[in-house]
Amino acid sequence: MSEKKIVEVKNLVKDYGVRGFQTRVLKGIDLTVFNNDFIAIMGPSGSGKTTLLNIISSIDKPTQGTITMDGMDLLKISNKELSQLRRDKIGFVFQDYNLLDTLTLQDNIALPLSLNGISGKKCKEKTEELSELFGLKEHLMKYPYQLSGGQKQRGAACRALITEPEIIFADEPTGALDSKAGKDLLECLTMVNEKKKTAILMVTHDAYCASYAKDVYLLNDGLMKCRLSKGNSRKEFYDSIIDMQASMGGEFL
Amino acid sequence: MSTMKLVLQNFKHSIRNYFSLILSLAFTILVFFNFLNLIFTDTFLILGQQNKDYIDQIIGVISFVLVCFMFCFIWYATNVFLTKRKKEIGIYVFMGLNNQKIAKMYMLETVLVGVMAFAFGIFFGVITAQLFQMILLAVSDISVDISFRFSGKSILLVALIYFAIYFLFVLKGYINIVRSSVLDMISAGRQNEYLRTKSWMLVLKTVLGITILIQGYYLAVKEGGMEVMRNIMMATVLVVIGIYLLFGGFLPYLFQKLAENKLFLYQKERNLWMNNVIFRMKKNYRTYAMVCVLMLCAVTALATSFAMKNRYERIIHFRNTYTYQILSEKSDMQERLEELIEKDNTITYETKTPVLMLDASLFDTLFSYTNYAVIPYSSIKELAKDAGLEFSYEEPKEDEIMKISHVYLLSIITDRSSVDVIINDKVYHQVVDTNTPYLGYLQEAMSFYVVNDAEYESLLPLGQQLYAYNFSIADKYNFEASIDELDMVSDAYVGRVKIDPASSDIEWIKVMYSICVFMFLVFIIASACILFMKLYNDAFEERERYLVLQKLGFDAEILGRAAGKEIRVAYICPFLVMAVSSYYSVHALEKMMFTNLKAINVISVGIIFVFFLVFYEISVITYRRNAGISG
Repeated sequence: MSEKKIVEVKNLVKDYGVRGFQTRVLKGIDLTVFNNDFIAIMGPSGSGKTTLLNIISSIDKPTQGTITMDGMDLLKISNKELSQLRRDKIGFVFQDYNLLDTLTLQDNIALPLSLNGISGKKCKEKTEELSELFGLKEHLMKYPYQLSGGQKQRGAACRALITEPEIIFADEPTGALDSKAGKDLLECLTMVNEKKKTAILMVTHDAYCASYAKDVYLLNDGLMKCRLSKGNSRKEFYDSIIDMQASMGGEFL
Repeated sequence: MSTMKLVLQNFKHSIRNYFSLILSLAFTILVFFNFLNLIFTDTFLILGQQNKDYIDQIIGVISFVLVCFMFCFIWYATNVFLTKRKKEIGIYVFMGLNNQKIAKMYMLETVLVGVMAFAFGIFFGVITAQLFQMILLAVSDISVDISFRFSGKSILLVALIYFAIYFLFVLKGYINIVRSSVLDMISAGRQNEYLRTKSWMLVLKTVLGITILIQGYYLAVKEGGMEVMRNIMMATVLVVIGIYLLFGGFLPYLFQKLAENKLFLYQKERNLWMNNVIFRMKKNYRTYAMVCVLMLCAVTALATSFAMKNRYERIIHFRNTYTYQILSEKSDMQERLEELIEKDNTITYETKTPVLMLDASLFDTLFSYTNYAVIPYSSIKELAKDAGLEFSYEEPKEDEIMKISHVYLLSIITDRSSVDVIINDKVYHQVVDTNTPYLGYLQEAMSFYVVNDAEYESLLPLGQQLYAYNFSIADKYNFEASIDELDMVSDAYVGRVKIDPASSDIEWIKVMYSICVFMFLVFIIASACILFMKLYNDAFEERERYLVLQKLGFDAEILGRAAGKEIRVAYICPFLVMAVSSYYSVHALEKMMFTNLKAINVISVGIIFVFFLVFYEISVITYRRNAGISG
């Protein structure tokens, strides 16, 4: 297979709480993400979705297990290397956009590149190219408070993509959006996944949102319970996700 | 009682946020108390009542400036409270509290802060009172033993003024909260949604600001007569307005234009810090302008101080040109007087000149004096030679006149050319105005004019001719020894002057000198404190932004660098404007006090720079900590 392994997680365990009163949130997760993958992780509230994402994306540290990204063990590399890895290989999309309100949309999108010391010309070109792709070109000069939620989130996605990362981590990206804006964003992410071969790892509780992914993993009680892969149509995939949710029970929030 | 509990809890919780505010308020109180204490504890009574009266008047003026400063400060501090608290308090609305109760909470909490600042200020004020007096006297070169004392009256007065201003603003805040709607309170903390100010508005402000500033500079250095005082006042007002407009117009315009050029903007951290500067500039330009004006005051205070010292020394030197000065109708007294003085003292040099005393009604001059005298040119030239004083003036023509004046502490007349003097309806054009002490102390008591010898002869019938005999002795402190002998011939002279080199009647100038140095420090610390406090508070607002950036994977090092550059702009902008403006304010002072202050100007700007550098470094550290930029 010509697919490149981007992230490999083995036997991931995470405990919360003080000694003696610990709760095991993740109980041994194995996961491999290849380039061109679009994975959605679903699970009921408290199943450990966000914890898993935070650990894989290096924001949090696991209690046990290994995470390898681009051939490097995240737990063994230095802080500087970790920063560099985050900067060059990873892109983030958060539920609450996290755009800086003091910067225009264009400046927000350009920020990761310019902070990395890329030339102004290149930054400008890239922002224009990405905003065109995400339908934001006419909003570049606006400030975040002048944009709708959907525009903000697409802006955040542009910001995540501008460094051409190998993988995008998205934590409930459509959580704060209405269905139309959510659909627009997901279509954009799908397009990026297909065109640029960027891997996407998305956490969501929404079956509709998950149906845009190629694979859906179901996390329950700290373990990966099952995996569904997309067939021919998104509609069918959506139905099968719903069926699986129903069979597993629990509250999906 | 539950309200009080809530207030205390809130206060305890946010004390770290208000630490800088409390510290700054306490500092103002400390300084204010120390100054008032000087008036009430009679420290300077030792210099005599007249000196004390002068010093009290000066301290009175400085206290007024400090009250104005305190007013602005409390205004700013209570405003910060109001916006910060309003947002948090807004949450209580949902808990069922009404506006009155929320306003009461705000009031109680603000009063707690006020009382705490006052307690700190007075406590440290009392502790430092003696130190302050000691330093002041030491710098003034006055040796007096002072005991530890402070006056209750000064504490009372500080409390009265401070709390009057404080309660005024607390009341304003109270009314503001009672009258505001729930929506206001919730959105109060979120009002940092940035709107770019329209360019034409900024251009207008810039043009207006620069025009006003140039006009102010021009008025400050313009030479003139009586109108100089008015010019200086106008210049002060214009420069303050100009600086305000410059910060409100020019700087935001400059940064906005720079940020529009994306090729320039997208250079490493510049994208981040420059946008932050633009955002902050809109909120902070008043603070920057205020800091700039305060620093300008600091430089002017130090320059005044040095000019005072210089003038003091010159006045003392001037007065001590002669030890004895005797005015007599007789022209043959010199040898007799010489004999008498030589009994107890050694004469180092002596001079003699005829002086024609003229009635003041014969004169029409720019300033009116009570005593006028005219001296012939040849005599004054001879006298200068005898006293070893420089004299390089040509003999005045028949319609020309020379003025011999004394050393002024300060003069508002900066243009001394083309002055006419009228004596007995004849107009003389004043060609020279010198304060060389040809006639020593007498020049302070009388207004002397020099005309050519022929003119002098023609003026003789108008008044009475006397002779001035002037002696300088080797041991000036032994001046009393010859007084008995001199008084033996008292019926032969019309006036006698003895100069006590230890005389303290102008000692107040020395105190003024050290007070100015102290004011210099107060102004610098105050301006640096204001900037520091502003940045300290801003950092909390930035916290969220920096956390996001860190979550996105940006190095704390890069973010720290960006924050450092942003803080640098906050310190550099007011500093630069001040450095340019100070040239003009010091130049104006130079002219009024006839002293070269260029070096002092450079030194004081240098001192401020060092102060700012230190505060900048501290700001960067605290900013990083408060904004949560962790390495």
